[in-house]
Amino acid sequence: MASIAKTGAEALRNAPFKLGQKQIFLPNHVITFVRPLPKQPPNLATFVVPLEFNKLDLRDYLWNVYNVEVTGVRSFVNQRRHEKRHGDFGNWRRPKSQKMMIAELVKPFVWPKSLGEEAREGFDYKAFKAQEAARARHDHIMGLRSAGALPLPSQEPTQRDRQAIKKRQDKLLSGEETWTPGKVKSFLNSHVVPEEEGWAEVEEDVSLDAAAEAEATKEKKL
Amino acid sequence: MASPAALRPSMGAIMQTCRSAVTAPKVAVAAVPVRALSTSAALLKRHKYPTARVTRDNSKKRGESAVHKSGTRWKLSVSDEPLPEPVPRDELPPIQVDEDHGLWDFFYDRETIAMEPTELAKHGRSWTVSELRKKSWDDLHKLWWVCVKERNRLATAEWERNKSKLGFGGAEASSRDRMVKITMRGIKHVLTERFYAWEDAVKLAEQDPEIDLSNPEKPYEPSTFLEEAEETAEASSSEAQPTTTEIDPTTIPSSKSQAEAPRL
Repeated sequence: MASIAKTGAEALRNAPFKLGQKQIFLPNHVITFVRPLPKQPPNLATFVVPLEFNKLDLRDYLWNVYNVEVTGVRSFVNQRRHEKRHGDFGNWRRPKSQKMMIAELVKPFVWPKSLGEEAREGFDYKAFKAQEAARARHDHIMGLRSAGALPLPSQEPTQRDRQAIKKRQDKLLSGEETWTPGKVKSFLNSHVVPEEEGWAEVEEDVSLDAAAEAEATKEKKL
Repeated sequence: MASPAALRPSMGAIMQTCRSAVTAPKVAVAAVPVRALSTSAALLKRHKYPTARVTRDNSKKRGESAVHKSGTRWKLSVSDEPLPEPVPRDELPPIQVDEDHGLWDFFYDRETIAMEPTELAKHGRSWTVSELRKKSWDDLHKLWWVCVKERNRLATAEWERNKSKLGFGGAEASSRDRMVKITMRGIKHVLTERFYAWEDAVKLAEQDPEIDLSNPEKPYEPSTFLEEAEETAEASSSEAQPTTTEIDPTTIPSSKSQAEAPRL
């Protein structure tokens, strides 16, 4: 592909370089404009292009479609990591490589700053973050399992509710508190007895989600 | 005074031997000519007779030593002007981006780049084939390019959303992309239909005696009897009303003859 057909009067513009002669009217290519690396100068713009694209194609494409003048193009191909066809099973395969090109712009272009975490509410960032964390945890456990080193429940850190029970137990044993058992109507088919009738709460209420509790206290302080 | 070793390593070695034997006079040391930046003697030509073989020394750096700090064998051009100090990245003046820069077309929003999924979901249906059939080639071509740019915008937003971990929104983006792709498929559908219609028309034209496809200037040559009839009709009408400038609709020859003629 040498050039891309122009629409409208823009075709009459004179390019400062020799444009390709082959006309292409209905291309299917998708070009992705990619955020530059942190120290990339503003005259460089990175694109993900189809594998069949060459440097001249991108130069002509940007000129004809976006009216962007380019003095040079650098290109490279990223090989993809090999994977199993259906994730966990199937034959090993390697996805098609990804071609990237860096265009040297005549007019510099600076990307806007990335959105802060506060500005991502519209994308439901809170749930997204929780999902990512859960996935990371799952991957970690699966990694341990495949290595045959799954930790025993006794090796895991003690849960918050169990810690609370232990505290309570220590207090009772030391005589700091006295045990008042709640009344139960029948042993097996037990019903909750209302508080007025002498039901006593044995365990304290403990929130299992430490992060949520910390946030709640923060809000209270504010 | 500089030590002899600093002047020239070989000379320093000589001086040390001298010092061990006899106490060398300081004046003699100062009188040693100091050749700047060169430590070794010029390379001697072994044979001086006219037909002697030229023995080039391939080592361009002979005599230079990092250990003895001998330096190069020639003077280097060095300026003593103070070098400018680099400005830190943060203190550089902000770069003004052109408001009409073409690359802005890759973004939905100039600040957020990716649209929020609720906004992204607000799109209509794709163009149907029956709607596209009524459009000219120019319209279809323009619509195709609108679709191409929309897909580029979507791909850019998706890349940004994934790489910057903005949050959810992939499903909305893919449904929007599907609508665009269906429109593009419709455009190709209509153009293919038109191509088949043109092919059929060419086949018909080849059978038609009134059409000569080998003559591109005037491919349609109507039959003679129709021409005569038209000529007579025109002649009678012009004779009937030679002076009137206004055209009477009744005098216009009927299009019946054209309707009867085989159509392309």
